[in-house]
Amino acid sequence: MTQDEFIIAHQSEWAELDQLLGESRDRGVKRMSPFAISRLAALYRGLSADVARAEGSRFGDDLLAHLERLASRAHALLYKAPPWRIRVAWNFLSREFPRTLRRRSGYFTAASVLFFVPMILGIVGAIVSPGFAERVVPASALAQAADNFGDRYGGGRGAGEGALMTGFYVYNNVGIAFRCFAMGVFFGLGSVFFLVFNGVMIGVVLGYVVRIGHGDNILSFVASHSPFELTAIVISGAAGLQMGMSLVRTHGETRLGSLRRQGPEILRLVLGAAVMLLIAALIEGNYSGSALPIPIKLASGAALTLAVVAYLAFAGRDDSKSVTPPAGVLEGLGAEDARGSSA
Amino acid sequence: MTDAAIDTTVAIEAPEQIRFRYRLAGPSLRAVAHLVDLVIIGFILGAAALIGAIFAIPFLLGGTEGADKTMTGVILLVVFTLQWGYFTLFEALRNGQTPGKAMFSLRVVKDGGEPIGLVDATLRNLVRAADLLPVGYLAGVVSMLIDPRFRRLGDLVAGTMVVVEDRLTVATPLYVMPPTPDEARTLPMRVVLDADELRAIEAFLRRAIELGPELSAELAATVAAGLARRHGYWHSDPVRLLALLYLRASEPLRLAGAAARGAIPGLPASAR
Repeated sequence: MTQDEFIIAHQSEWAELDQLLGESRDRGVKRMSPFAISRLAALYRGLSADVARAEGSRFGDDLLAHLERLASRAHALLYKAPPWRIRVAWNFLSREFPRTLRRRSGYFTAASVLFFVPMILGIVGAIVSPGFAERVVPASALAQAADNFGDRYGGGRGAGEGALMTGFYVYNNVGIAFRCFAMGVFFGLGSVFFLVFNGVMIGVVLGYVVRIGHGDNILSFVASHSPFELTAIVISGAAGLQMGMSLVRTHGETRLGSLRRQGPEILRLVLGAAVMLLIAALIEGNYSGSALPIPIKLASGAALTLAVVAYLAFAGRDDSKSVTPPAGVLEGLGAEDARGSSA
Repeated sequence: MTDAAIDTTVAIEAPEQIRFRYRLAGPSLRAVAHLVDLVIIGFILGAAALIGAIFAIPFLLGGTEGADKTMTGVILLVVFTLQWGYFTLFEALRNGQTPGKAMFSLRVVKDGGEPIGLVDATLRNLVRAADLLPVGYLAGVVSMLIDPRFRRLGDLVAGTMVVVEDRLTVATPLYVMPPTPDEARTLPMRVVLDADELRAIEAFLRRAIELGPELSAELAATVAAGLARRHGYWHSDPVRLLALLYLRASEPLRLAGAAARGAIPGLPASAR
């Protein structure tokens, strides 16, 4: 069969497939008729044979390219990823996220050290040594902090401030955590920097406010949301460190292969941290700044700290209740796949 | 056709046991698509602010305290959602296409050509923060220039690439005007061109109209002399020369094809 005969014999099918693909793009494959969908699949299989034929017979490059484009569009439609389900999200939060964190506790420990040691040094330095805070943190930021936790603070917040601050904390803090993770792509060094940097900043501001005499204000303010917020930043950093380490210690694979294998695990950590940060932002915006007595705030802070520790330490340990949804639906977010746990 | 081809395509193996090549999207095309997305994000943000303002007006006029602050908080939430969610959600829900990418027929696919899922979309767009460093996607562009598949850091982490799904319209037979009696008089009965030569001439003839008469004549002249000498056939128009040789050379194929289907009993199928 010559190329021209080949084209004449098949071009109506190719045109039909092209048209069906256009339709599916406009209306979505779910709203197509069952007949159209099965016709599409049949045409794609026919096209697969045509591609092989065109390649084997060494037909023209343009023809082959045309068929390949058509095939790739059909392929992208027919092999679309399965939809996302709410049960997967619940399974993720109640089991997979804390489990992954415990399996990778080494990174979590390392990130904690990188974050909390500079933070404690910052607190101690700012309290003990006058002028220390001014040299580390810009004066405007210190003035802002002093103003926020100064005398005006006692009366609680004005109307609408809760929504404003929630929005700001989501925008700012979740963004910090995401960046803390993303910078890990530079062999983990970016995450190390972000952890230490944010640790120092938070520590120095905290110590400075304590030194100028508003310690009770700031401690009662941060008590309730910081268990979520600081832990989540550390977890994001841990995910960044794991990403960096997977590029360094490859276990005999290529660097990208090694990274790819740990990708689902790393993502679980980041998404879990994001959820914790959302909770933190809600508390921070609406509860932390309220006019409740200081002892109540400190008590709730202690209770929430225990809750976070208990969640991360124990959630998902009971395997008997574990729901294992069918493979494929989860794509690494759900059940512990062999690829993730063998790493 | 191998993975190591020195051009901007990548070969993918489909479950149907066929390989097809994707055309990779380079930095410039992706940048344009990205600009479109940024404009859309700007419009969404503007619309959100407008709607928020319309809702807030009664409260502001009524003297409700803090309506402006509530609105600012909501806007910040919208900004956050757009900043981290726009690309992720569109790519996850629309099979690898944001509106900007769809406009330029770009699609994010896995390294193996499979469609991306929520996990891939989230990873590649979280790492966008690193691609943006230190300013204006510099890290991402450097990564794209080093990587043979034009992948930015987020693509490398998520195992994705961006391909072009252009629709070519060449699935039609190539029409060559048959030789005039004058031309047929001197045209040899048998012209042998190998498969590569046939493919090259075909590709050229399909583009000849786009190229315009001067340029196509100039290009055809580069090979016409050699082919003319080989076949002992000269023509004043080099483009026409290639067309005639192509026509004659593909005729035996037609006969052999017919023989393979048993139409011409005398000719063995192996003649092709």
